[in-house]
Amino acid sequence: MQNKDALSGLFWMIIGLGVCWGGLDLELGTLHDPGSGFIFFWVGIIMIGLAAAVFIKGIREKSPDTKLKAIFAQVQWKKVFFVFGALIAYALTFYHLGFVLTTIFFLLFLFKAIEPQRWSIAIGGAIVSALTAYAVFHWWLGTQLPQGILPLG
Amino acid sequence: MELWEYLRLGFAVALDPLNLFYCFLGVFIGTLIGVLPGIGPVGAMSLLLPTTFKSTPEAAIIMLAGIYYGAMYGGSTTSILVNIPGEAASVVTCLDGYQMARQGRAGPALGIAAFGSFIAGTLSIVGLMALAPPLSKIALKFGPPEYFTLMVLGLTVLIYLAHGSMIKALLMAAFGIVLGLIGLDSINARPRLTFGRLELMDGVGLVPLVMGLFGISEVLLNIEQTLRREIFETKIKGLLPTAKDWLEAKGAIARGSLLGFFLGILPGGGAVISSFLSYAVEKRLSRHPERFGKGAIEGVAGPEAANNAATGGAFIPLMTLGIPPNVVMAMLLGAFMIHGVQPGPLMMKQNPGLFWGVITSMYIGNLMLLILNLPLIGIWVQVLKVPYKILFPLILLFCLIGVYSVSNAVFDIYLMLIFGIVGYLMKKFAYEGAPLVLAFVLGPLLENNLRKSLIMSQGDFSIFLNRPLAAVSLIIALFLLISPLIPWMKRKRRIVPPEEIS
Repeated sequence: MQNKDALSGLFWMIIGLGVCWGGLDLELGTLHDPGSGFIFFWVGIIMIGLAAAVFIKGIREKSPDTKLKAIFAQVQWKKVFFVFGALIAYALTFYHLGFVLTTIFFLLFLFKAIEPQRWSIAIGGAIVSALTAYAVFHWWLGTQLPQGILPLG
Repeated sequence: MELWEYLRLGFAVALDPLNLFYCFLGVFIGTLIGVLPGIGPVGAMSLLLPTTFKSTPEAAIIMLAGIYYGAMYGGSTTSILVNIPGEAASVVTCLDGYQMARQGRAGPALGIAAFGSFIAGTLSIVGLMALAPPLSKIALKFGPPEYFTLMVLGLTVLIYLAHGSMIKALLMAAFGIVLGLIGLDSINARPRLTFGRLELMDGVGLVPLVMGLFGISEVLLNIEQTLRREIFETKIKGLLPTAKDWLEAKGAIARGSLLGFFLGILPGGGAVISSFLSYAVEKRLSRHPERFGKGAIEGVAGPEAANNAATGGAFIPLMTLGIPPNVVMAMLLGAFMIHGVQPGPLMMKQNPGLFWGVITSMYIGNLMLLILNLPLIGIWVQVLKVPYKILFPLILLFCLIGVYSVSNAVFDIYLMLIFGIVGYLMKKFAYEGAPLVLAFVLGPLLENNLRKSLIMSQGDFSIFLNRPLAAVSLIIALFLLISPLIPWMKRKRRIVPPEEIS
């Protein structure tokens, strides 16, 4: 299963099966009066058929460009994980620390960890961006951003 | 009311100081995101959608529309100066625009792109004004079978024009329909695929989906490699094209405007396709096709006119039928609905101020863009110099705020992150996001009209063949779907993908 299409085809077949099962669970109804699961079931069937076609094409494909290794060859995983980890950490701490503090830490981390900037730029950029965003979205546009441990009003 | 009275009403709405401000904000942000690589008009519109909640529907739609056509203007700047398209519709402008810049003619290239865009944008608005009212009247006669088949046709055209595999594009459309149907059944209020989560009762939000698929995933892809950008340090002078430039470009602008407008109307068409086709047409019609790719001004003027004209054309199916022909219009449909307005044949009667206000604001917006893009070009060149390592944390921050402010729920941030990974993997595995998003928006409408049609016909599928428009739409859709099996159609389809041209 080294081919990208074979792998993705298999994945979508499983999703299609799940959708079909979900449709059956919701009841199909009749053609006169289609039920809640009617369209899910048939879209699921179509997904399975299409995914099977992608899977078969993938299995037949021999080109090295379509191998999993080829599409992920240039990826700098550290950067991808850092960014994604920072996003998850942001969501987890958002309510507890509040918008301003979470945003400052989030930006500081990204400014330093991916392609490191000078401390002055990183700290200054993070604080100014967080406060500007808070002023624009919270005070001006009235978005309810959590205050957390730093009540700014 | 006569047309001129509608126009007067439209201008009264568009010239309202608040609406003027939102129009300016829209075209300014549009130009900005057109200039900046990594965030397209769809991402920017979903980002700014929450900021319009407190404004009137007129102001909101005027701003969001401004972002769309503003991005078309801004996109050409990066294509010409940096050889990196700010957004997909400007890919083809790189070919001759960048060459012109290398030959010391960046000024005329930027100038003809802006003037061509202005002329085409204005012509397309005239076309929109002329075609929308009669189409709205015809659309009043449409029933569920016509709507269902038109939506199927729209999705099929988008899939047909997909850059890569049609099977994969179809698969994405099917998945989009499934995602779009999550939540309460509109007929019997039964929860569907909500996995017991209260947050999913209202369905998956459009903003987390779009931000994840187009915003987060784009950042993840961009940080994988270091972006190298070479910007011309020389002073840009002589923005006004010469008489010779005009002579060479006028035909291209006229043809690009027409092509763009009509392709914009077609479901699934739009700015990207029309710019590529315009380039192909100009190259074919030219007496010196060998100049193309080496700095031919027609290669800049035609595609830029086409992609701007397409923006006006794309409003027609949305405003008259309520069917978005592309992803950007799907975003606008979402915005209309959030503001309690249902676009469609009745909109012109029920909300004439909104309908004509949005259209006339585009005149004004086009004028603002001309001013923003020519005398102020220096500002955009400075913006281009902001390094991506500074830019991407801010793009991520805007995505986070944008998503949170729609629902005030962290759940939507998690949803966006999931779609971010899905979008990242989709790009790695060569699946396209556009069919997914369009199907997501059309999904509930598709299902509703299918179920209504079947109830009307008592389960008889021939209802889709007995009604002329429905039958024609289905036949075209079927033809497009089986076209890859027909050798000459297969060859024709291969002309379209951007990678083939570039």
